Amino acid sequence: MITDEENNKIIEENIRKSKEIINEAFKKFDNDQLAITWTGGKDSTLTLWLIKQVCDENNIKIPKVMTIDEGDSFPEIHEIIEKYTKEWKLDVKWMINKDVIKAAGGKLGADVEVNKLNKRNSEELIRLGFTGERFPFEAESWIGNHLMKTVMFNMFVEKYQIKGMFMGIRWDEQAARQNDEYFVKREGDSYTPEHIRIQPILHFKERDVWNTTLKYKIPYCKLYKRGYRSLGASSTTIKKSEIPAWEQDLENTPEREGRRQDKEAAMERLRKLGYM
Amino acid sequence: MKNVVLITIDALRRDAIGIYSKKNSLTPFIDSLRNKSIIFKNAQATGPYTQSSFQGILASSYYLEYGKEKNISSKKILISEVLKRNGITTAGFHSNAYLSYYFGYNRGWDHFYDSMQEEVSDMYPFIRGDAINLKVNYWLSNYVRQKNYNPFFLWVHYMDVHEPYIGEEKYIKLIDSNINIGKEKMFELFKEVILKRDISNCDNVELLKKLYESKVMETDNHIKELFDIFEKNKILEESIFIISSDHGDEFAEHGGLSHDGKMYSELISVPLLIVNWDQNKMINCEQLVSLIDLAPTIAYSYGLKTPEELKGQPLLPLDNYNKNNCYGEAMGKIGNKEKDTDKPVYYYREEDFKIIFKEDGNLWEMYNLKDDPGEKKNIINNSASKRLLKDKLIPMINRWIK
Repeated sequence: MITDEENNKIIEENIRKSKEIINEAFKKFDNDQLAITWTGGKDSTLTLWLIKQVCDENNIKIPKVMTIDEGDSFPEIHEIIEKYTKEWKLDVKWMINKDVIKAAGGKLGADVEVNKLNKRNSEELIRLGFTGERFPFEAESWIGNHLMKTVMFNMFVEKYQIKGMFMGIRWDEQAARQNDEYFVKREGDSYTPEHIRIQPILHFKERDVWNTTLKYKIPYCKLYKRGYRSLGASSTTIKKSEIPAWEQDLENTPEREGRRQDKEAAMERLRKLGYM
Repeated sequence: MKNVVLITIDALRRDAIGIYSKKNSLTPFIDSLRNKSIIFKNAQATGPYTQSSFQGILASSYYLEYGKEKNISSKKILISEVLKRNGITTAGFHSNAYLSYYFGYNRGWDHFYDSMQEEVSDMYPFIRGDAINLKVNYWLSNYVRQKNYNPFFLWVHYMDVHEPYIGEEKYIKLIDSNINIGKEKMFELFKEVILKRDISNCDNVELLKKLYESKVMETDNHIKELFDIFEKNKILEESIFIISSDHGDEFAEHGGLSHDGKMYSELISVPLLIVNWDQNKMINCEQLVSLIDLAPTIAYSYGLKTPEELKGQPLLPLDNYNKNNCYGEAMGKIGNKEKDTDKPVYYYREEDFKIIFKEDGNLWEMYNLKDDPGEKKNIINNSASKRLLKDKLIPMINRWIK
């Protein structure tokens, strides 16, 4: 067992490291070239809180905050974002792919006719290699995820000429993250504007996130208390437990299990390999 | 009783391993295990791609046994299920969509990681070996920390050798210091040459082969890392390691690339080693063996009889193994995409003779692998033993007819 004293040491050391990365980012970029990705989930809220700490300590304005509404989010997520937008006096920009939502008649699962989409969205579909006439409106499907999230992210970076995006990615969250660095350059192409992703909480384990959140009374979405471990789209995220996330066996069960969509995930892999 | 660790490497050709090849070795680590290994010189897969071959490896059954479904039939039994029923802890780690939860491969594992919930990029459309090793390390370190842990069965599958062959510079330079292309270009080769099965330009094919070889070197290092994890946890000597692949890969030997529904040796011949730290000499086994026999061999290692659902028989003890033939089947797809119109293809091999039947076009082929290892000369019309081999294959082909 880890003692409270050791635990405190881990928390403080993690915070110190994160603040160092955040300070480095403020040295590298002007304030208006920076932005913070905020989903209302535990990781991005911790990231935002850490940035706010650094800003308050140094009397700096908190950079713009970007949040994406993928058309299928939990009301509890909206609640926390709206509450702290006010309380922390944040400049939050909501990104919504209205064109796709309109084409789906605002209904989840409804068919979206490709010829009803605007130029940008149709071009993005061609880029994905999608050649069908319609697709169902789902936020976490292959196409849905791209149009509702990736395209919106890119448009935000483009519109506000952002050079550095703060993101709440962690090494232990997904194996694919294991080689990530604190500053990652995203090369630009005709669709993705070049930018640097700044990931100040890479070294936090899931357990550390909760220890820090609870110790410093950092706000968290109430769904975590009801058993959710990881929050994705509302209609495809399930809770695997009834007890608060931080009381679950975080070390031996997968964090994103409740977000698993077996078929879609397997199909996407096969598509990438040209099998579909 | 020892732990059994099954290490499979997707799309690894037999001749890419130093032990099996006369060329400069790409696999110094695997080669270094030779003096503790039984080396099966003549092992054959039950099919030329993952869906067909893994039903042989993990369920000791043939692909089309219960129809043409890609998922593993509920009538089949996975080795993980056999072992779990017998109180052995089972854990599997891989990143191949065809072996995922969705296709039913999660059955029987106490711990199953298929990586499908991870985000992956287009260039690396699977979790790479180093990340797989981290997952294994995490599980293994926690598992052996228990006071009196029971023997376990661990399966680790690496995807790194599989296309799109995006190589790392340090390995590519070791293969050919003149190659100077970026990852974007490699990815373009995947899309323009591999996916289109375009072998018209020999230079491209040769370049792809070298990129493939660089991935083999990379994977050899991942396997070394895995052994290091065992050493660190002090269980190297308490474990038996089986190293193999599900199929090979083609570089224009029979007019194609990658691994389509064909039954030639570049796809069907696979490496197979059983590594045991108690064994202090190299044992070569020249006999023809099939991966259908792996699951029974694993069961045997835990002292279990072969359950009757499994089609194979244990390779161990070697002296008791008396088969001299093997069989495989798949859908004869050409290109990465499968089509509804694809028809089955079958092979049967007995000693040096192999017979192949393609339902599409009703084509028979036969090769004498001793004189013609490249399978270029079809002797179906002038072989005395063709009737003998045909008779073995026809019941398998006709089992569809009710």
